[in-house]
Amino acid sequence: MADLSLARRSLVAALLPERDPTSFRLGVQEISTPSVGIAVWGVVTGVAMVKSGLSIPLAFFMTFVAFAGSAQLAVLPLLAERSPIPIVWITAALVNIRFVIFSAAMRPYFLVLPFRQRLFASYWNGDVGSALFMRHHANATSFGNPSQWGYYYGGATTNWLVWQASSCLGIVLGSRFPASWGLDLGAVLALVAVLIPMIVKRPIAVGVGVTTVLSVATAQFPLRSGLLLSVILGIIAAMVAEGSDPSGDQQ
Amino acid sequence: MTNAVYVVICVIGMFFITLGTRGSFFMLPERYKLPPRIERALRYAPACALAAIVAPGVLTNAPEGTPNFDLTNPRLWGVIAATVFFVWKRNMMVMMVVGMTAFTAVRLLTT
Repeated sequence: MADLSLARRSLVAALLPERDPTSFRLGVQEISTPSVGIAVWGVVTGVAMVKSGLSIPLAFFMTFVAFAGSAQLAVLPLLAERSPIPIVWITAALVNIRFVIFSAAMRPYFLVLPFRQRLFASYWNGDVGSALFMRHHANATSFGNPSQWGYYYGGATTNWLVWQASSCLGIVLGSRFPASWGLDLGAVLALVAVLIPMIVKRPIAVGVGVTTVLSVATAQFPLRSGLLLSVILGIIAAMVAEGSDPSGDQQ
Repeated sequence: MTNAVYVVICVIGMFFITLGTRGSFFMLPERYKLPPRIERALRYAPACALAAIVAPGVLTNAPEGTPNFDLTNPRLWGVIAATVFFVWKRNMMVMMVVGMTAFTAVRLLTT
């Protein structure tokens, strides 16, 4: 038993940086209000997974392995149609691209850590946690200390627990509702709720408009290739609109 | 390939994609930076990808992808009601209820 707990402690030390307990508690505290939203979102995703045709074991597998709400919701219609695997992956990657931007912004706080600790930290870096972390440390003068890592892991672990618990609840609830209720529409509605707040300036509105029209027009293209084509042309349209935007501001 | 194997492969890929995007700049050596022009292009990708899922999900027939502009389509009314409500109130939970109610009302009226 002593060996086991020693092994556990050295594994924790290998994967986790030093965490200040007070900052950890603060991280937990600050994510507890947005946790209500995270939980609603988790239930919706859980219900949508089983209502779009995933079996209960596969839905549990998806929530714990993928752990990416918006990407999960986005690929559900593709999985239901058995779209080609690369299309599923590319769609997940496109929806997840926002994390590339978040990780670039949060990088200075983690750069001093060994590679394995940075890799481990990556798994937990969700939307709400990143947003809170960036806001809380907006005026930081030193980068990479136990107080920042404690705050990060306080938020990240709470986010994970709330998300997985609510997602599992959604899976169990969803399997009890009849298919005729059309609850798979919930996935589309949830994506609308993510999409609308993103449309803040003219270029992005142009991009979304172009993608919307083209994605419907190209929906019959083989192997769901219309999806990629319409996204690429939408991004180009947004960038062109940005160049011609008289106010000259960027999204 | 059975459907379960297909889903498992897709999900395992999603694990690596999610880890790779969340940790992209955590893991890259310090000399790699995100060029501003690329960053701006990346900012548009998620919204466009979501639009490319939502629009055909409502305005085409699955799985063949033929256009469906039928005004008795309950999914269309569900999404319209939910969108209008969400733009107005920004409350996701109530928005889902509004959307599902509109969907169900049109579904029951048209069958």
